[in-house]
Amino acid sequence: MKSFYKHILGLLSIIVIFSCENETVDDFRNLNSIEPLPELTSGTADFSNYVAVGASFTAGYTDNALFIKGQENSFPNIMAKEFTKVGGGAFTQPMMNDNIGGFLSGGVQSTSYLPRLFFNGAGPALLPATSTTNISTVLTGGPYNNVGVPGAKSFHLTLAGSIYGALNPYYGRMNPGANSMLQYAMDQQPTFFSLSEIGGNDVLSYATGGGVGVDQTGNYDPTTYGTSDITDPTVFGQVFTGIVNGLTANGAKGVVGTVPYITRLPYFTTVPYKPLSPANPSFGPLIPTLNGVFGQLNQVYAYLQSVSAITNAAERSITFSTTAASAVVIKDEDLTDISAQIAGVLNASPSFPAFVQSFGLPVQAAPLVANLLGTMYGQTRQATAADLLVLPSSSIIGTVNTTTYTYLVGQGLPANLAGQFSVEGVTNPLADKWVLIPSEQLAVKNAADAYNATINNVASAKDLAVVDFSAILESGATTGISSNPFILTTALVTGGLVSLDGVHLTSRGYAVMANEFLKAIDAKYGSNFVASGNVAKAGDYPTNYSPTLQ
Amino acid sequence: MKTILPFLLLLICGLSNGQTTITGTVVDDSSQPIPGANIIVVGTSTGTVTDFDGAFTLKVNLNPPFALQASSVGFASITEQVTSNNQTINFILKEGTSLDEVVISASRTPERVFESPVTIERFGLKEIKNTASAEFYDGLENLKGVDVNTNSLTFKSVNTRGFATFANTRFMQRVDGMDNAAPTLNFPLGNLLGMVETDVQSIELLPGAASALYGANAFNGILFMQSKNPFDYPGISAYYKQGITSQAAAGDNDYIDYGIRAAYKFSDKFAAKVNFSYLKGTDWIANDTRGKNRDNTFIEPNSTRENDIDYDGVNVYGDLASTNLRVVKASPTFLAQLPNPALANLVPDVNVSRTGYDEADLTDYNAKSIKADWGLFFRPWENDFEIQYVGKIGSGSTIYQGSNRYSIKNFFLQQHKLEIKNDNFFVRGYLTADNAGDSYDMVFTGVNVNRQWKSDNQWFGEYAGAFIQGTLAGLNANQAHAAARTAADTGRFEPGTPEFINAFNKVTSDPDILTGSQLKSESKIYHADGNYNFSHLTDFAEIQSGGSFRKYILNSGGSIYTDRLGKIDYSEVGYYTQFQKKFLEDDRLKVTASIRYDKSELFDAFLSPRISLGYNIGEKENHNIRASFQTGFRNPDTQALYIGFNVGPIILLGGAPDNPERDIRTATSNDLSPTGQAILGTNSFTYNGSGAYNNSFSRSSVAAFAASQNPADLQIANPGLIKPEQVSSFEVGYRGKVNSFTIDFSTYYNQYKDFIATVDVVNPFYGDVQLTQTFSGNGLPLAVIALANEDFQPYRAYTNSKADVNSYGAALGVNTKIFGNYDFGVNYTYTKLDFDREANPNTQTNFNTPEHKVKASFGNTNLFENFGFNVAWRWSDNYVWEATFATGEVPAYQVIDAQINLRVPSLKSTFKVGASNLLGDEYFTAVGTGLIGSMYYLSWTINNL
Repeated sequence: MKSFYKHILGLLSIIVIFSCENETVDDFRNLNSIEPLPELTSGTADFSNYVAVGASFTAGYTDNALFIKGQENSFPNIMAKEFTKVGGGAFTQPMMNDNIGGFLSGGVQSTSYLPRLFFNGAGPALLPATSTTNISTVLTGGPYNNVGVPGAKSFHLTLAGSIYGALNPYYGRMNPGANSMLQYAMDQQPTFFSLSEIGGNDVLSYATGGGVGVDQTGNYDPTTYGTSDITDPTVFGQVFTGIVNGLTANGAKGVVGTVPYITRLPYFTTVPYKPLSPANPSFGPLIPTLNGVFGQLNQVYAYLQSVSAITNAAERSITFSTTAASAVVIKDEDLTDISAQIAGVLNASPSFPAFVQSFGLPVQAAPLVANLLGTMYGQTRQATAADLLVLPSSSIIGTVNTTTYTYLVGQGLPANLAGQFSVEGVTNPLADKWVLIPSEQLAVKNAADAYNATINNVASAKDLAVVDFSAILESGATTGISSNPFILTTALVTGGLVSLDGVHLTSRGYAVMANEFLKAIDAKYGSNFVASGNVAKAGDYPTNYSPTLQ
Repeated sequence: MKTILPFLLLLICGLSNGQTTITGTVVDDSSQPIPGANIIVVGTSTGTVTDFDGAFTLKVNLNPPFALQASSVGFASITEQVTSNNQTINFILKEGTSLDEVVISASRTPERVFESPVTIERFGLKEIKNTASAEFYDGLENLKGVDVNTNSLTFKSVNTRGFATFANTRFMQRVDGMDNAAPTLNFPLGNLLGMVETDVQSIELLPGAASALYGANAFNGILFMQSKNPFDYPGISAYYKQGITSQAAAGDNDYIDYGIRAAYKFSDKFAAKVNFSYLKGTDWIANDTRGKNRDNTFIEPNSTRENDIDYDGVNVYGDLASTNLRVVKASPTFLAQLPNPALANLVPDVNVSRTGYDEADLTDYNAKSIKADWGLFFRPWENDFEIQYVGKIGSGSTIYQGSNRYSIKNFFLQQHKLEIKNDNFFVRGYLTADNAGDSYDMVFTGVNVNRQWKSDNQWFGEYAGAFIQGTLAGLNANQAHAAARTAADTGRFEPGTPEFINAFNKVTSDPDILTGSQLKSESKIYHADGNYNFSHLTDFAEIQSGGSFRKYILNSGGSIYTDRLGKIDYSEVGYYTQFQKKFLEDDRLKVTASIRYDKSELFDAFLSPRISLGYNIGEKENHNIRASFQTGFRNPDTQALYIGFNVGPIILLGGAPDNPERDIRTATSNDLSPTGQAILGTNSFTYNGSGAYNNSFSRSSVAAFAASQNPADLQIANPGLIKPEQVSSFEVGYRGKVNSFTIDFSTYYNQYKDFIATVDVVNPFYGDVQLTQTFSGNGLPLAVIALANEDFQPYRAYTNSKADVNSYGAALGVNTKIFGNYDFGVNYTYTKLDFDREANPNTQTNFNTPEHKVKASFGNTNLFENFGFNVAWRWSDNYVWEATFATGEVPAYQVIDAQINLRVPSLKSTFKVGASNLLGDEYFTAVGTGLIGSMYYLSWTINNL
């Protein structure tokens, strides 16, 4: 009987020991567990030595400056963090000295390289601090993996370091010696590279300058270009091809980005073309008087059209609404200059002297006024939705243009009248530099299209991954880019994608950009950064930097 | 009455006038006196019990000769002949086995456990004396097949064979024939309102269905508690227990429990008794701060307040209030407060919950139980005919975990019973009434204390606003969320401050779920039942018949049930008959057949049959095999029928035919999207629950749709209204004595039909779920628009699952003596659910029991003179606890309870020093409850025979 007893105990202890496998509990665990993400694989690319070549975006430029935090959150650095999970090595960057940005030049604040912008509660404002990074300091820790040089145009990449390093302190401080940016990158023998925003600066300064520069399409000599000109696509093509050939010479793989239509950036979309509100106390009460003056001018346009001297009297006519916001008055250099005709018509008008008198001017002043009106409004119209006002115009619209004022006073107008006729965007047409008119926008678009054709061709020939930033920026400007749980749009301050300077991205925007590159890399090289969840989380990156961060 | 009258006459004819006095003692075979042994005149109910020294004196109105039987639990009964007046009889009882104990409930007639037609467990005086648990009720946990789910220190929920939450409506508990379920809750509150220890005569437990005899709800099992009749057990007995409870979270706290029983036999005609007990302690503190998934209540161990902005802590309340910031940033009020509405774009599309309060801040954890009962017993003819009135009251404070966790404060339950009976029949009627007292829902206390200092709208608005500010100031998302929470929490009432206490008091005395948390209910059950045993009239078989009637009156004022506009009442009636006959030589084969008819006012009638066979094998009939088939059914409980309770994210809705339209609610402009307001043409939309049953999608498909935005993912739910649940149960068993071993084995297979379960559905406020109604503007189905705009109401609707739910299991118990006279018992319980969980993701079965459980006990009642000890060990496999409040894993655990006791006959006292959970490894039996710590106690029991 004792054995019976032993058997039972034995049986029970076996049950106790081996009963840990429990179907119900397993079922529950299965129900409860989130499908695990696949393991990260690098595909066919070798990320062991990653070099990023580009301009300001690559450098991590944000809020109109380059500074430590921004550099840490540059898209190449964000990508490099993911690369380290699959054998990527250290990623070095030419770090600035502070979180102020800008340069100290000769012991004082450089006015060309100012501190960064910050959000002061109402809008972007200059950080009240002095840069601590000396403009002439040359770093010794190079060569740096991040070869992103703010301001670099395509053809700058092949300029000798001795020239370009002196020209651009952001490159000079990287201690390039005689090496061009391309050579500097190539000497590091990258196994993987990113080539981004090449071509961006080739159109950007033209656009931010309101199209004051020259579209150099057809001029193959970049040494003759001004800083605000559009680079000829053929020049771009040669340079870009050379860069890619150089970077891929050792069999490196890489990813390239196209040039987006920069006119979709808030630098060009924030200031409305119709900012003049009748509710504004310094504008509204003047509307009847203004309409009286412009009424005379509008009659002149109508007359000139009636005699077939012009065909666009309606386009040139200027009226301010008393009930709704009105468009600013701009100078459109595409319009035929009809200054002389205007002066002629006014001088011929029998009622004009009386009109001039109504302003308290002597009747003898009529020819002068006729000439002035002709000069000021010979090439003007009110802006339309097709015009883009650049961001800085917001701070001058409605203010007195002192140049015009001085000029008018010099012409003999009384000070008060000169002041009234010098109001920016109202009586003083906004100058070319404040407005990107449709023809200028087209020049920018054509150049970008031509550059992108090259970029796509070269990338295709070299079998590189490509990111189409045109489409991405377009969605940012329309529906918003969804980067769970955020929606990033190009709206200034509120959009989260573009930093306070209206052109460069926020750190959160750079995280999204890095993810777009990773997505393209996945598609081309069979890696799975996105599918395995090894991407940047938008929420980990700020949209702004605190003013106390210095 | 027609059946009773002739029977009364019969009794009167049997009266005679003799007067005989017998004295004597009862001792065991080692000459130890046996106190509390029953002395009974065979064939009558006249008798007495032995005193502490095993002595008795019995006066009977009979002339010798007659037979006198002495019996005591654990001993084989002995019958001696009385031949003369003033005779002295000394009984020597031989220790029997547990299988020889007499039970009543299995067939509604006394029979040995050995011959019982179904599985039965008995817990008698001896077990109560020897249990190592602090309370006798807790000792049930050591029985095979029994699960005790621990809600709190004083509220344990007994169950067998699975399918139980704390709202264990499938298990019935009877005290002296009265169902002691609280009418509001429809399930028993453990022993909180049960029986005083010194008044307990025996406890029997029938695992499995017993509807054939006990009607609806005797579905998974039934527990019988029988008190001591003052005629048989006069005298005063008392106990006093003092000790500490020890838990890491709560520390060491005093525990005190005392009770007294006073019974007096005024004459052979009249006796009375009164019982009182008082228990006070500190409950186990529940401080599980793990998060849980809002949709399916699954535990998410990695979610904390610090790392999860939408954290919903298991024992943290107030964080139930959760919203998607997307909704906030679309709100015109919010946008109006921003300097530039476009800034709203910086707010992410994420769910955020308010900051909650720890459970410990919302309850004092006082555990209290005050019980009293009294009875008047009248035997007009000094025989087995007895008229009794019994009154019971119970009041207590404890913690109950149902859909939420509730602090049960000053809950009051009363029962009044009038019963007439003799050996062959009984008729009784009783009333059970409850009053929820000052009880409150702790989850909603947290939610509404929060709302006292800041409305949800304001809180979420401030949160989103501060998030934007933080973002503009240079914070990343995590930092901005932290800053936003700090800003929104400004003005929070900190626990312990006067403003917190004021808010707490205000909320817990307000039954409106939107602003308060008080549980209000004063519900009643009226019950009558009767039974007549024809066995003395018929020879060919033992036949008994009976019936019952029950009426429910629900009255929660709309706080639990859909009775805002008036009480809900409904009734049930049932009849049954049982035949029992023995066949073959020595009556080795016992056949029991019974059938019961039940009809609820709300449902079609049910017939539940039971047939069982028992066969004794062997020369000494030492082996018995049994087989039974029975059906059980369960009327949906009051909650499954008539609940209409908004737990926050979802409304619990009963499935009685008239219930859905009783659940009337209004969605205001805060709840309705602008699109919804335009489609409905109102910003105040009143709806009732009928949409849950006739126009709803399954909640899981709505979640799938939300992710995919593909209307093809939507599945129509439209669950059926509720109807009774049925079980078919097959059981075979073996009991045997092999040398010194007694063996009890049973195995069963249960097949459920129309399993009562809840299903989560979503009712769109506009548009039909067949998607035929479309929006004229864009042709999109209205219902899809409603879902996209979150214009819908989720319900957890009670219904019958179409899924196959089966379970099976087995229990094996072996008892023996080892090392001489040490008692050793071990039992093993296997329980298995057969259910395709993956195919039925919306159905909760609440199986909630481990696949394996092993229990053992080792002890000696007389290790040396007057000194005994007992050690009990239990091991439970891990299992999944699935319930509305929280669902997660319960890890495997093992527990050791132990006691040593000393009898001091000169003081008629027993002293016991005991400890439960001696190993000190804290464990839990249900997710969401406090960890069970250890108890150490010293008890003194006087004169408990």
